[in-house]
Amino acid sequence: MKVLSKAKLETALNKLNQGAEVFLPMQKAQESGFYSWKLFQQGQDELMLDALNVYLPPKHVVLPQTERMYSIKLEGQDMKIEQTFEDASPRVIFGARPCDIKAILCMDEVFLTRGYEDSFYKCRREAITIVANACYQPGPACFCNAMEVNPVEPAGADIIIRDAGEAYVWETKTPKGEALTSQIAEFLEEKSLALPVAQPFIQDVKYEGTAEKLKKMFADHIWAKLGEACHNCGICTYVCPSCYCFDIQVKMWGDEGYRFRCWDSCMYEEYSREAGGGNPRGDGIERFRNRFLHKLEFFKERYGTPLCTGCGRCIVACPAGINIVKIIDEIKEAELHA
Amino acid sequence: MKDISNKIRDIAVKLFQEKKIDIFIGWEKGALEFQTRPLIARNEADAAKLVFDEYAIHNLATLLLKFRDGGEKIGIVAKGCDSRSMVRLLEDRQFQRERLYIIGVGCPGMKDPLQAMAKHTGLKKINADGNGVAAKCLDCVQPNPVIYDELLGSQQAPQQSGERFARVAALEKMSADERYRFFEETLSKCIRCYACRQVCPACNCRTCIFDEMKPQWVGRENSTTDNMMYHLVKASHMAGRCVECGECERACPVDIPLMLLNQKLIKDVNAFFGPYEAGMSYIEGAKPPLSSYAEKDPDDFI
Repeated sequence: MKVLSKAKLETALNKLNQGAEVFLPMQKAQESGFYSWKLFQQGQDELMLDALNVYLPPKHVVLPQTERMYSIKLEGQDMKIEQTFEDASPRVIFGARPCDIKAILCMDEVFLTRGYEDSFYKCRREAITIVANACYQPGPACFCNAMEVNPVEPAGADIIIRDAGEAYVWETKTPKGEALTSQIAEFLEEKSLALPVAQPFIQDVKYEGTAEKLKKMFADHIWAKLGEACHNCGICTYVCPSCYCFDIQVKMWGDEGYRFRCWDSCMYEEYSREAGGGNPRGDGIERFRNRFLHKLEFFKERYGTPLCTGCGRCIVACPAGINIVKIIDEIKEAELHA
Repeated sequence: MKDISNKIRDIAVKLFQEKKIDIFIGWEKGALEFQTRPLIARNEADAAKLVFDEYAIHNLATLLLKFRDGGEKIGIVAKGCDSRSMVRLLEDRQFQRERLYIIGVGCPGMKDPLQAMAKHTGLKKINADGNGVAAKCLDCVQPNPVIYDELLGSQQAPQQSGERFARVAALEKMSADERYRFFEETLSKCIRCYACRQVCPACNCRTCIFDEMKPQWVGRENSTTDNMMYHLVKASHMAGRCVECGECERACPVDIPLMLLNQKLIKDVNAFFGPYEAGMSYIEGAKPPLSSYAEKDPDDFI
């Protein structure tokens, strides 16, 4: 088997960095997330490839929080599009966990299939190579196995690395992966190492049947109970690796300006406010319900897989202690009212 | 604290039985060890779940805003900071005193469930001592409730020690350029999730300036400019209103030191218009300095 020695990792990253921007899990001061290797400060920052995961997912690499789309100029009654900003520069997401990669696959469904193709997303996505870091040691908030993710054989990866102590076992899966492998071939060695043993999940989550049951629960009073403590902030949606909702806005200075897309959150009142002032989800509980129905029911109905990937970040980050696992349990246990 | 939990439960059950309240707001235990979370109880069965433990850190006053337009009578637990927020809501006429039955509890300083969660799950490295008192509680000057109908537990000593607002003093010593760079760096991390606004008991505007679209006062780009605009506008709206509960900083997923800005304004409001400390006692009709006008108000900065 091919392996990349951990001692050679940084040199290999420097090499990759010459041809692409490489995003890796890092700890920067108190923050942990996927940051560009260019921003890595020796002695201050810490690579987090061997940690379970990082707090902020790599979502922003495929769907930036703010993305300029095109610049515009008004000429009398006409508007001219001056420049579009489709971004095809090569990027590598290195060491993403299977839950985060599944989330990117969910976004691929939304932005590239069913007759809708988002050119900005497509352009960016096609230039991204994904190196997955297989997961053998689930954390206390993890439940990806219940959400159709295989933590040791992640789908959607161009390369899979497996932590074998002194080195990562390197497995190339796709032509894109081969191209990346060939760039750092000089650092890979042929060696036989023992693979880690997959540890059992700490949480036992039973998602099967939830989507079907939720079809009958739109008007159930369980939502008031589950969501009452929710503040309707957007933490869960912004730390979520798969929440992809966005808004398109414009900035103008006189006759010139640009349109941009930015992350939006279904938790905000403004998100579902209509031009006429009405709001189909004016109440916080309705927005709370929508988020969980989208994660657990609607997306599954449309794309055949849930939009939650079991990473557990929202469970950790919610200031009101709302726990999606508990919600799945309560839905499963709920008695249906005719 | 077990004793306090039992007493809270007994009082809540009794209040429901005597039909003195429709709702009781306290805490319940979440699914995980350190997940204590706010509970809105509506009957005796719910009330049986009430607890008060070392992770009861949330400011429950924020939840009162969900009920401000109703007529429900509400029983609620209040630590020092919760009670000061309640005073502020009463002063702002967001709530009527007679709708509340407040159970005050002297607070020994809480642990931070978010920090404990992050540390436990390994998603974030926590530098602070996870077994100690939460960072926000270390600045506490008023651990004992300032308004209540019933008081439980013993009086507690304030956690705050040494020079008050030491972090602000350090900031004031910086040159303008250094300070700008500091805020540029720290605010550029903001992901604009608005948790700091949503958990804030002082953020009680019915329509928030940041949600207005016509005109849109603050842009939605995640850029230093828009982020700074958001934080500066939010902080200045807190002047004279912030009770230093620290919920904003606790909730922030990217560790922005939000209380720095708030404490600077607490310090300045006190220096210019004081002596003043928000929500320290409830006097009907009292207003915070920036909600009133006096001839002698300082104006040399205009």
